[in-house]
Amino acid sequence: SGCQQGGCLTCSDYNGCLSCKPRFFMHLERIGMKQIGVCMTSCPPGLYGTRSPERNTCTKCRPECDSCFNKNFCTRCRAGFYLHLGKCQESCPDGMVHSDTQRECVPRCPAECES
Amino acid sequence: LRALIRVTLVRHEATGEPIVLEGDFVGGSAGKAEGKLMQYHPLSLCNTSEDEQQDSAFITIVKLEHRVPPCLPLTEKARMALNKGAQAVIFDVSDDTNAAAEFSQFQETDSLPRPVVLVKGENAEKLMGLVNKNEEANVVIEIKMEAKWPHYDVS
Amino acid sequence: EQIQDRQGPAAPSCPSPCQCEEDGIFIMVDCSEMGLSSVPANLSPLTTYLDLSMNNISEIQPRAFHRLHLLSELRISGNQLRYISGQALQGLHSLKVLMLQNNQLERLPDDAPWDLPNLLSLRLDANLLSEVPAEAFGGVRSLRHLWLDDNSLTEIPVVALDSLPSLQAMTLALNQITHIPDYTFTNLSALVVLHLHNNHIQSMGSRCFEGLHSLETLDLNYNNLQEFPVAIRTLSKLQELGFHNNNIKAIPERAFVGNPQLQTIHFYENPIQFVGKSAFQFLPKLHTLSLNGATQIQEFPDLKGTTSLEILTLTRAGLSALPPDLCEQLPRLRVLELSYNQIEELPSFYHCSALQEIGLQHNQIRRVESTTFQQLTSLRALDLSWNVIEWIHPDAFASLHSLIKLDLTENHLKSLPVAGLGALTHLKLKGNKELYEAFSPDNFPHMRVIEMPYAYQCCVYASCESYKPASQWDTEPSSTHEDLHKRTVAMFPIHADTHYDPDLEEFQLEIEESKLQTSVQCTPTPGPFRPCDSLL
Repeated sequence: SGCQQGGCLTCSDYNGCLSCKPRFFMHLERIGMKQIGVCMTSCPPGLYGTRSPERNTCTKCRPECDSCFNKNFCTRCRAGFYLHLGKCQESCPDGMVHSDTQRECVPRCPAECES
Repeated sequence: LRALIRVTLVRHEATGEPIVLEGDFVGGSAGKAEGKLMQYHPLSLCNTSEDEQQDSAFITIVKLEHRVPPCLPLTEKARMALNKGAQAVIFDVSDDTNAAAEFSQFQETDSLPRPVVLVKGENAEKLMGLVNKNEEANVVIEIKMEAKWPHYDVS
Repeated sequence: EQIQDRQGPAAPSCPSPCQCEEDGIFIMVDCSEMGLSSVPANLSPLTTYLDLSMNNISEIQPRAFHRLHLLSELRISGNQLRYISGQALQGLHSLKVLMLQNNQLERLPDDAPWDLPNLLSLRLDANLLSEVPAEAFGGVRSLRHLWLDDNSLTEIPVVALDSLPSLQAMTLALNQITHIPDYTFTNLSALVVLHLHNNHIQSMGSRCFEGLHSLETLDLNYNNLQEFPVAIRTLSKLQELGFHNNNIKAIPERAFVGNPQLQTIHFYENPIQFVGKSAFQFLPKLHTLSLNGATQIQEFPDLKGTTSLEILTLTRAGLSALPPDLCEQLPRLRVLELSYNQIEELPSFYHCSALQEIGLQHNQIRRVESTTFQQLTSLRALDLSWNVIEWIHPDAFASLHSLIKLDLTENHLKSLPVAGLGALTHLKLKGNKELYEAFSPDNFPHMRVIEMPYAYQCCVYASCESYKPASQWDTEPSSTHEDLHKRTVAMFPIHADTHYDPDLEEFQLEIEESKLQTSVQCTPTPGPFRPCDSLL
């Protein structure tokens, strides 16, 4: 039921965590038909954390991001997208090429360099 | 108006008898609805909460708890659940006595587009029991016809 | 595949009680929430991911990770660490992500900083840092993302930040920073996102943002700014700006002249009294502008060059007139909210063809001409309540085919032109004391909620005879539930008198059908003291 986690402040068998200890992020996790509250120190992949005096929440990144700093700034892209200055795009700007391993746009190799 | 809630476990769909429970419709929202049962955390119906896409028709069930600080009036929570695509909303008010009172002041003019039902006590326990076992279930909500005039055999 | 299941000499060892997972020849180790008080000793050099979060680790032994040259991500969040020496993180040449949030770090190493040449993301949020030494980031020069929010910093670590020329995103939110000096961020030319919300910032140097050539998002919300942040003038790439919940009283002329890329500006919850007429000019990407309570605004702002505006809210100001060319400047307007002003006359909104909502309640409008709302075929909601409208041209609403909500509460109407109002679902006419006409339901085939000046005007929506005598309606004490049930039976009289035992399915169909026929909620509801026949 999610009640045994370290970050939970108040908890119920049906809803899991109802509130978190200070500085923990509240995330609503869907498991089949159930949805329970979970308290964590960092949001799950695909979500970013926003801290505020009242509560700390997890919010979805853009669909093309695997992880992000905020809604408009990705830190890692999904497969098929390439990161440049916080944006995940399907192609890279001029003078850059895409690296599939890093899923990033990287500077084009100078002419005299092979790889 | 009283609501009849027929719950059929998906794995018993062909053979099993539905579990029949009861509740109360809120305001003028009485009506028929059908869908897969889907639990939502009370905090998922707040202005800050995120949308969650469901692939098929579903009926939302929310167990309200007085320990969760209210983020919206309950009618707005109901409206938000319906706006998220729910065919109907069931609120378990067993542990939140204020909820039932709040709904009772519900204004007719704030019409709700689809059924909203309150359950408590034994009916709620059975329903939440299914949820806790994470048993996929199909729910049909109907208006319970109150048998107002007992049938006397005068022949 | 779980490592524990594999046998054989080559299998990299998985320290107990951790959970390990194979990633090709490498290994991912999860030791989170296992009650550990120290870093496991026998970690495989092939470890690429190590999660030690949510344990009771209060200290990291020197060289604890010195063999982990291939480690890419290290999570030690949610422990009790007070200090981490440079030696503790020795050997982590490949480390890209280091998570230290939710510990009790009070200081960072200064003389021998962490040597993490490939680190990209460093989380230090939710700790107890009151300062950042000058050399703290000397060994993480590739850093791109830095979290320092929710600490106890009283000033921005200017010198330490100079070591981070590749930084792209940083949050210093939820600290106690009071001032931003000039040239604070000069070396951060790659910074795209800067969060400073929830601090105590009162003042900032007029050149404090010099050097931030790439900045797109600046969040200054929930601070104590007294003046408009003119320092933003150097941020030519700025797209998203927030300074809501501050103490700013005026927005100067040409306020955003240096920020042509701005798309959103949030500045609500400020005691803004004055707004320069040219403040919001030449912002071709701005789509929302909200101004509430700026009482000193007497004239409509000049929005020349701000052609993408979709939502304009300018309420509780001192506007008495609208420019005739308003729609030529704002062709894409979707929502126009101008309530609580002193507007007397309306221009033609003809060129605002995308308008969906207009809010003009609480003004001094007298007349509505035929051209005022002409051709607004997308208009869905029009609020003209609490004005002094005496006359509406017969064709005023003729082309409003999408209009579903019309509010004319509290005006001086004697008649209402119904041409074009066939799509209405909500109509409010309460308070128009000289409007006696009883409108036929045929005018409003989709009506659901209607408020009339007099009760008798509601009789057309439910035959008066069907209402029970007073004794069963108003006077009988009943619980809310029974009252609801009674009103339902009363509203559907066909069930009250007949003595039968209907089949459930048929009964429900009747409920559904009858709901359609009499689902119009018309108020004031006729009753014994508000008869259907007009007393006149």
